[in-house]
Amino acid sequence: MNKTTNILLPNAFEFVEDPQLDSDSITRPSVTFWKDVWRRLFKNKVAMLGLFIITIITILAICVPLFSEYTYKGQDLVNANALPSSTHIFGTDNLGRDMWVRVWVGARVSLAVGVFGSVIPSLIGIVIGGISGYFGGKLDMLIMRFIDVAMCVPSMIYIILIMLFIGSGPISIIIAFALTGWMGSARSVRGMILQLKEMEYVLASKALGASSASLIFNHLIPNTLGIVVVSMTMGIPSAIFYEAYLSFIGLGVAPPTPSWGQLSNAGIAVFRVYPSQLMIPSALISLTMLSFNLFGDGLRDALDPKLRS
Amino acid sequence: MKKYILQRLVISVITIFVLATVSFFLLRSLPGSPFQTETLLSVETEARMMAYYGLDKPLLEQYLTYMGNLLHGDLGYSLKYTNRTVNSMIASAFPISATLGLISLAVAVPIGLFLGVVSARKRGKTVDYLCVFISVIGVSIPSFIMGSFLQYIFAVKFQLLPIAQWKSLKHMVLPTVALSLSLLASLTRVMRASMLEVINQDYVKTARAKGVPEDKVVTRHEIRNAMVPIVTMLGPMVASVLMGTFVIEKIFAIPGLGQHFVNSITGLDYTMTLGLTIFYGSFLVLANFIVDIAYGIIDPRIRIEK
Amino acid sequence: MSKRILEVKNMHFSFYTYAGEVHAVNGVSFHVDQGETLAIVGESGCGKSVTVQSIMKLTPTPPGKLKQGKIEYMGEDITHYTQKEISSMRGKEMSMIFQDPMTSLNPTMRIGHQIAEGILSHENISKEKAKQKAIEMLIKVGLPNPEKNFMSYPHQFSGGMRQRVMIAIALVCNPKILFADEPTTALDVTVQAQILELMNTLKREFKASVVLITHDLGVVAKTAQRIAVMYAGKIIETGTARDVFYDPKHPYTWGLLDSVPSTGVQSTKTLLSIEGSPPDLFDLPKGCSFAARCKYCMNICREMPPEETVMANGHKASCWLLDCRAPSVPSQKRVSRVSKLNVKEAAYVE
Repeated sequence: MNKTTNILLPNAFEFVEDPQLDSDSITRPSVTFWKDVWRRLFKNKVAMLGLFIITIITILAICVPLFSEYTYKGQDLVNANALPSSTHIFGTDNLGRDMWVRVWVGARVSLAVGVFGSVIPSLIGIVIGGISGYFGGKLDMLIMRFIDVAMCVPSMIYIILIMLFIGSGPISIIIAFALTGWMGSARSVRGMILQLKEMEYVLASKALGASSASLIFNHLIPNTLGIVVVSMTMGIPSAIFYEAYLSFIGLGVAPPTPSWGQLSNAGIAVFRVYPSQLMIPSALISLTMLSFNLFGDGLRDALDPKLRS
Repeated sequence: MKKYILQRLVISVITIFVLATVSFFLLRSLPGSPFQTETLLSVETEARMMAYYGLDKPLLEQYLTYMGNLLHGDLGYSLKYTNRTVNSMIASAFPISATLGLISLAVAVPIGLFLGVVSARKRGKTVDYLCVFISVIGVSIPSFIMGSFLQYIFAVKFQLLPIAQWKSLKHMVLPTVALSLSLLASLTRVMRASMLEVINQDYVKTARAKGVPEDKVVTRHEIRNAMVPIVTMLGPMVASVLMGTFVIEKIFAIPGLGQHFVNSITGLDYTMTLGLTIFYGSFLVLANFIVDIAYGIIDPRIRIEK
Repeated sequence: MSKRILEVKNMHFSFYTYAGEVHAVNGVSFHVDQGETLAIVGESGCGKSVTVQSIMKLTPTPPGKLKQGKIEYMGEDITHYTQKEISSMRGKEMSMIFQDPMTSLNPTMRIGHQIAEGILSHENISKEKAKQKAIEMLIKVGLPNPEKNFMSYPHQFSGGMRQRVMIAIALVCNPKILFADEPTTALDVTVQAQILELMNTLKREFKASVVLITHDLGVVAKTAQRIAVMYAGKIIETGTARDVFYDPKHPYTWGLLDSVPSTGVQSTKTLLSIEGSPPDLFDLPKGCSFAARCKYCMNICREMPPEETVMANGHKASCWLLDCRAPSVPSQKRVSRVSKLNVKEAAYVE
């Protein structure tokens, strides 16, 4: 009945001695969650391009001011408003200051404000939201009511108020962001914690007598980390944008210290005559925001377990 | 339902009360004086000005007076614009900001949602990449840069449209485009994510399994359920857009509310800032209230819980 | 012989993921006759759901792809029907009930409209008439107060009630074949029996055939006339319920039957389980896919996939033990608990 069987060994129809039930050994290499995330992130060319641009911009921001013959405030009124050339790669501004150096010094300010202005409020939000969601009860209600009221105010008004209080400058901007930006992330972390608290595996470890600390560190934080990291990454471009916005309305970084927002603001005044003075800083703002957004998108896709097939 | 609305109303009033109180004291604790920022006034003149606006009285008394007036809907006199009430300033500037905002929303919402749906339905195809690209670019270019570039291209280079001001339909084009582009981009992103979530739900499969034509699967089952997060997002978005965007208004010299927000704070115009904050806050509370009701219409699960 | 409703021949279905090709279904053939209930039994992940969902073309392609095979409905080849063509058949000719009633109803649509939507998609009648029909259907599936329930939303219903609604949606257009994908798995035990009973009653009333997917042999015993046992994307044994239960031929089927808990008081036998887990569908073994877990594994099992052996009464199994050269397996080794399952004798009379 089987023509193929006649080429078989004579012992083909003998039972396998000691049949080890070996199918538990899975042929596909098992990958841990984070390894999988990294692999998918590396495969995402667009996200990697974003990361690459961010790296390049960061390196330039660190190195250019260190090795340039010009300084960000050295004036050369004879060569004011020069167009980009070999001596001044990005030209000069109305006071003859070298734009190449100013742009990269400005990048330091903008990037620092972007990163810290996103990470610090998120961290505050995680702590407050985590406490609120984990302990619940009256404390939770109090915090949530406070957030409800505080969210009714346009954050710009608070930021401006705080800036007026503590004066302008990059650190003030970060403080202002920290004081106003934590509410959104507190709310979402609280929501996630509430959801996770109901999950069976959390109940199970509770039933097995796990302590609060081990619950928070072993279950709740790892499971919210992904979303938090993504929202931090996505927060960076918006912090950069807010810095630019504040500098644009004259409240951000005080001259002569440059920031991208401030350079754009100065550029807008003259852009009909010298468009490059607006185009360069604004192109960099857009490029950086774009890169962070692309990277953040990739990170979110990589972290989404539903895409894990 | 009645009970719910009443409850919401009470919470709203309390919210606005707290908002007014906190903002009042926060503002008044700022260093400086509203009459010293621009021209250097003599001490007597400044004192006279302070007395004229009642700013010399004890802070608590000022607060009670202000809150008393607020109950009647009176936001007081602006400290910077002589003889103009905050109410009248809002009345003249708000319609302009609101018009710009409404037109931009009318452009951005349908296009943004449409692109989001198309993008999610064609996930991984060229159309999807195109939509994602447009939306990422849209959220990555700050509006003041977008506005300036639009001005440069359409008003300076080709001189097709007026560069600024708010006079005719032609004047409205550039600010509307600049504003709606960023709105559109974020709507597209949220709608795409929401649709991707819904597309894989079991009930969509059920709809297909009972033979519902594909176009109706999309409209009745996918889009409707995907709208829930959009509605949440629309409340604050509509409020902030109708309140005017400072940057767009500054670049295009539009006499809307947005400029007053920034100018009044930096100029320490207490009454104006306070009035605008309360106006904005009330508007936001109202918008969120409408959103909650719309939410109930879209998602019956929420309706019942109330 | 009754009329053949559905015939699937040598179906291969794969998913193409970034990690490689997942061979979900590997050469499945079966048929369904008018009025009968075919149960497809197997562990989770053995390709049961993919098989039926790809018949109705409900699996997303890509990443899924029907690689090979033929699907015939009432003698007509529907293998390469477009989504549009198959859509007009769904609900009217064949319909499906899903496992989790909590997620398979649209939360933002009234129950009644979800039933009426199916009618309106196939029949050119007024909305009023469709509503009437939907209400009749609600009565048939045993939901009280149909007028009120018509206007209700899914979240107001319990799991059992939702599954009744799903049955109403599936049967309202009088389909010839109903695929029930683990219809009782997500329900309470007490409700399970009611839902099965309802399905059996309505199946007779509507003269529909049922393909019941389950891993619960208790459910199979109560409802099915024929059984197909699936393992790693293949049907390894098929036959009438009586043959498969009382005279199983494949070691995997023996294992399945042994793993049913017995409820008898005097039962002293320990509950047995099948050691190990199913093979990785990314990388199937070259021989019999059950070899690694089989107590009676022979050398040939690891080298070559067994072919189907046809026995009396349409009973078929794919196992090398059935080869004439294979040693016979002592029958006492087969601990069978079939008697406890109470296979419905009545089921055969039909």
